[in-house]
Amino acid sequence: MKKDSIAYVVVFTFVICAVFVGVLAIANESTKAAASANKEFALQSAVLGAFGISYTDKADASSKYKSSVNETVSAGGRAWKARLDNQDYSAVEAAGPGLWGTITVILAASPDGERVRGIRLVSQNETPGLGGRIEETWFLGQYEGEKSAAGKIAMKAGAESSGKADPDKENSRVEGISGATRTSQAFGDLVESALAKIKAMGGK
Amino acid sequence: MAKSKTAAILKDNLWTNNPIFIQILGICSTLAVTNNLVNTLIMTVGVSLTTAFSSFTLAGIQKLIPRKVRMIVQVVVISFYVILIDIILRAYFPDASKQLGPYVGLIITNCIIMGRAEAFAQANPPGLSFWDGLTSGLGYMAVLLAIAFVRELLGFGSLFGIKVLPESFVPWTIMIMAPSAFFLVAMVMWWAKSVQAGKAQPKASSKPQEAKK
Repeated sequence: MKKDSIAYVVVFTFVICAVFVGVLAIANESTKAAASANKEFALQSAVLGAFGISYTDKADASSKYKSSVNETVSAGGRAWKARLDNQDYSAVEAAGPGLWGTITVILAASPDGERVRGIRLVSQNETPGLGGRIEETWFLGQYEGEKSAAGKIAMKAGAESSGKADPDKENSRVEGISGATRTSQAFGDLVESALAKIKAMGGK
Repeated sequence: MAKSKTAAILKDNLWTNNPIFIQILGICSTLAVTNNLVNTLIMTVGVSLTTAFSSFTLAGIQKLIPRKVRMIVQVVVISFYVILIDIILRAYFPDASKQLGPYVGLIITNCIIMGRAEAFAQANPPGLSFWDGLTSGLGYMAVLLAIAFVRELLGFGSLFGIKVLPESFVPWTIMIMAPSAFFLVAMVMWWAKSVQAGKAQPKASSKPQEAKK
């Protein structure tokens, strides 16, 4: 068969695609278990983190998740309940638009939504180094123990943001990230919608 | 012979024909990832390995590829390796995979990879093509790490995520954003071209002449 004949080109292209795609399919299949275990662990560690339950490793996280957290379902997706320090807390998974893509968080708070327990990110696609900094502990840590004013926590974004963590837990406001005004605002809205979800769940 | 050739390729790809400041390839990713040394390192290792292995594979099957579809075949092979890297990261390095997110897919669009496939792997044996791809990646890595060093240091006051500048240091927000990479890449090009022009004509004045290629 001549190398430039149509038959050769068609057969060659077909074979090349079949071989490479076949190898990829095998690689994907064989790593599926590991990848889904990683995903599971990521979710569990986010839930534990939001509740403020510490764990040492993967196995510890899994056992603590089973022993101290109850998975329930709320109207808008997955939800969790836990009793910590003699108080009930609820957590929900909430997703909302960021600047580039969907931001998904797990937020834990008191059942009336008045006091945040903690918040963790599940996924985000914001600009690395700018909006992507919503993953940083100083930023998420601002929410830990923060009081909400009737389900609202103000986000100081844009010109009024100092880019430094707000240490006051009673003023119902957090500092946004300088250079990432839109992401900060989107994150603030997302937190409020998550608090509303928790309130809607109530003490049930 | 073979040894001098590998050395010549190394020097070519790192300096005299560097993909960033001479060939001006792969600039998009230079702007995107260089505000953080860790991401830059992972990304450039990914690009180096992809370039090396895709050049190797393409050189291996160069005699079989019909000219009409050679670019399609190049794209298939390049994306094959990128997706493979993505699968491996997702399964065994979940943290790195989460950090890099969309950038792994963007390795495919890096012009350096296809540039080496077209310019070198088409006409050279697989071993040499692998070396050419790897060193091209290293040339890219060297420039990107240098830029990321400056950007992370001034933008965050840290290196590889570890704070090195005192708390009183005010971070330069511009350094975190893409425009600063334009300035820094331009400065690297200016510096490299001046040095190279100075070497070519030792009596060159302090004003470097624009080196037209």
